[in-house]
Amino acid sequence: MRRIGVFICWCGANIAGTVDIEKVVEESKKIPGVAYAGEYRYMCSEIGQDMIRDTIIEQNLDRVVVAACSPRMHEPTFRRAAESAGLNPYLVQMANIREHCSWVHKDEEEATRKAVALVRTAVAKASRSVELFSQEIPVERRALVLGGGIAGIQAALDIADAGYEVDLVEKSPTIGGRMAQLDKTFPTLDCSACILTPKMVDASSHPNINLFTWSEVEQVEGYVGNFTVTIRKKARFVDEEKCTGCGDCFEKCPSKVDSEFDEGLVQRKAIYVPFPQAVPNVPVIDKENCRWFVKEKCRVCEKVCEAEAVDLEQEDELLEKRYGAVVVATGFDVLGLEEFGEFNYGKHPDIITSLEFERLVNASGPTGGKLLRPSNQEPPRNVVFVQCVGSRDKSRGKPYCSKICCMYTAKHTVLLKEKYPQSQAYVFYIDVRTGGKDFEEFHRRAVEENDAIYLRGQVGKVFPEGDKLLVEGVDSLSGKTVQIEADMVVLAAAMVPRTDAPEIARLLTLGTDAHSFFTEAHPKLRPVETHSAGVFLAGACQGPKDIPEAVAQASGSASKALGILSKETLLSDPCVSKVDESLCTGCLMCIDVCPYHAITEKTIEEKVHGEVVKRVVAEVNEAVCQGCGACSVACRPGAMNVKGFSNEQILAEVDAVCL
Amino acid sequence: MKNLQDTIREIAAQSLARGEVELVIGWEKGDLWWQSYPAFIEEEKEADRLIWDPLCVPNLSRYLLQELSEMDEKKIALFVKGCDALAFNQLLQDNRTVRERVVLYGIPCDGLVDPSKLEREGLDRDLQEVERDGEELVLKAAAGEEKRVPAKDYLYDKCLTCRYPNPVAYDQMLGETVPVEPEERFTGVRKLEELDYEDRFSYWAEQFSRCIRCFACRNVCPACSCIKCVFDLQEPRWLGKATEPSENAFYHIIRAYHVAGRCVDCGECSRVCPVDIPLQELNRKIILDINELYGEYDAGVDPEQEAPLITYKTDDPAAFTES
Repeated sequence: MRRIGVFICWCGANIAGTVDIEKVVEESKKIPGVAYAGEYRYMCSEIGQDMIRDTIIEQNLDRVVVAACSPRMHEPTFRRAAESAGLNPYLVQMANIREHCSWVHKDEEEATRKAVALVRTAVAKASRSVELFSQEIPVERRALVLGGGIAGIQAALDIADAGYEVDLVEKSPTIGGRMAQLDKTFPTLDCSACILTPKMVDASSHPNINLFTWSEVEQVEGYVGNFTVTIRKKARFVDEEKCTGCGDCFEKCPSKVDSEFDEGLVQRKAIYVPFPQAVPNVPVIDKENCRWFVKEKCRVCEKVCEAEAVDLEQEDELLEKRYGAVVVATGFDVLGLEEFGEFNYGKHPDIITSLEFERLVNASGPTGGKLLRPSNQEPPRNVVFVQCVGSRDKSRGKPYCSKICCMYTAKHTVLLKEKYPQSQAYVFYIDVRTGGKDFEEFHRRAVEENDAIYLRGQVGKVFPEGDKLLVEGVDSLSGKTVQIEADMVVLAAAMVPRTDAPEIARLLTLGTDAHSFFTEAHPKLRPVETHSAGVFLAGACQGPKDIPEAVAQASGSASKALGILSKETLLSDPCVSKVDESLCTGCLMCIDVCPYHAITEKTIEEKVHGEVVKRVVAEVNEAVCQGCGACSVACRPGAMNVKGFSNEQILAEVDAVCL
Repeated sequence: MKNLQDTIREIAAQSLARGEVELVIGWEKGDLWWQSYPAFIEEEKEADRLIWDPLCVPNLSRYLLQELSEMDEKKIALFVKGCDALAFNQLLQDNRTVRERVVLYGIPCDGLVDPSKLEREGLDRDLQEVERDGEELVLKAAAGEEKRVPAKDYLYDKCLTCRYPNPVAYDQMLGETVPVEPEERFTGVRKLEELDYEDRFSYWAEQFSRCIRCFACRNVCPACSCIKCVFDLQEPRWLGKATEPSENAFYHIIRAYHVAGRCVDCGECSRVCPVDIPLQELNRKIILDINELYGEYDAGVDPEQEAPLITYKTDDPAAFTES
């Protein structure tokens, strides 16, 4: 007979407020195999832990059940307590009588009954638990940062400064990301480029950082401490070593296409550097629009390049690299406005998004920072800003708040007034949200010192009339319809993840929410970790964020990555899959369903009727396996068993809870 | 038909004689008029035991499991009808057979006779042999009497809905291919779907209550190819030993899920059930759901095709996660 100890936690009033603790103790004592049952106000406290340790020794307990909170909270605490008494930590089982019971029930009698059932279930599982042992796995002490925006740059710099090598992979031809497109930053009106470019230079010159721009991650294998990543370094068609950055090639290039960096407001060449401070300052050839690649005529760039850096024969390179940790900082996009016909976006050049406004007002932008109407290159007088275009809009857009629009629009009204003191800004808003240091003050400055007119209400229609734009809206505070003759309409389109976010999620087995933002491991307590051990999140790929938040999260991610890189070995979680070869039929469905590529096939020999025959069975790489259990579910003969969550244990739990 | 039977005997004898294979699996006449047994022929002279008639229903592919595992590296010849070939492909996909070790002789099949349909009309009296002649069955009695009846009326239901009467996998096809004119196979499922939850539950509860847990459905199923079945394990004991209603339901539902996405719709489960539980409908419901969710998929047609239930695509429908 087992000697199981049951320790029941009050969690102050969290559990004891709804569950009759005395009754649970009493009922627990009746469960076969239970040698001891006791309670304490805070089991996770030092006194509670000591109580567990001392009772294990005094009562000679061989299994422990702690009925308290979610194992995600205190399982490690109680495992340590058991270990200090000489018990294998994996002989501790938790019954979650808080999240699964007291917090979701009001009726004391029912809640108590359920708590008893949960304890009974945990006892059933514990009585079938076996000792498990961790393995030491070596750590590849290098990091990968995905995305070269401000978050990625910051994470890379922090890891590199701590003395570890970092590969920074960026899909576009330069690092800098969204922040490079911005003009000033709220609420201080620092010049975005002035504070960003030094970081870009730091990143490119740091001895521990390797930049891979115009590159994408193609495949990820492995596990925390030992990722193997295939990076596709796309052909640039310009030799990075030879190029002097003189710019002759794009001066002479005859093909023009819309500039991504300038949000399509101007055109760039087919061979181009996105902006003057680009890092690296080496052009790329955009194959889809290059005359040579499309029509096999031209090669002008090659002819004019004195450094002989243009190499039209260049091919994509596939690099295989190893890392101990990965920081994902893939950033955001702006919601497409096809669904929002009332704004006529795309139909008139003076109807623009906020990001286009940033380019118009930026000194390196299409108007040299003069902020002119795209239609006639005249200064605007009346500018209407529309908030929440696609944000807080369940029916056509996104239900969430994009968080930064209120503040950047306040900034835009201030910048407009600075350029043209005679101008007038109108802002249509739902609510003005200014939670942040100095944010409200900045907003008041827009309203009080810069006379921006804030209209609480929505815009019904924007349409061109003569050389103006007529904006029809409702001021819901006065209840009146408003008509404004505007020179420019600026739409604060919602922030969305990059379109390839689902693909990145698949590569790294990350969770995403309904909008494809990556999911953190815990919304409060593990905000930079993911459910894939060793993969961390930084910046707007996880949810709408402003620059300081993205930077702070990047440093948080870097410190988490360093937590791995600073160790020579990691202890593996022993709760992983195991194959019973005598049961394995060799169908290998487990290989197909394993999200971590942890299963391979192998051939074994066995004797059948005196003859040695070979057959194929599955084999688990315990270091790669994350114990998710997908294989166990797919395995018909029950040959796949997750240690710590074995089929025997789960069936025992089902039987116990159905009693 | 006789011609095909002669061909079968000839081929079996030849391939054994030439040493191409060490075993031929075909059919032989059973003890009673309606029985066909699997025949395991290892010697040339035994080849004349083989038969081919409209009663050769057993699916021979499954016997490969045993035979191949006991004979390392040796080759086996196998006669396959349309449904048997699907089964063979499924075994291949499940890694339970080796293509190189099997020589497949395909037999286009125009449907097999359901003895119970003959019995129901008393046509089985003194019956000794059944032959197919075009659209008719020739029933030969002991006294040499012959009776002709329309074949279609006496075929298995599963044969009437068969979509692959011509084998999809073979090394050599014996005989002419037959026309493919299946009746709608999901009629039964649709009818059950129309029942409300309570009625559907009691329908299946009633069906499962008859189960005697003989495991015939499992033992005949080409998708039930595990070396050791979960239902036979002592620890953990997934299934209680008692044939009580809940355990019976549990058994059949687990089995349906175990073959989900791999069931070739051969209908053998329903055929062998001694208490006539319409098990094929259970599997067809899952086939229908798979078709509707992930697009048409026929298990066993192409062993190289990715099976929908074990492949994940980012655009897979996820209706169950949307409220």
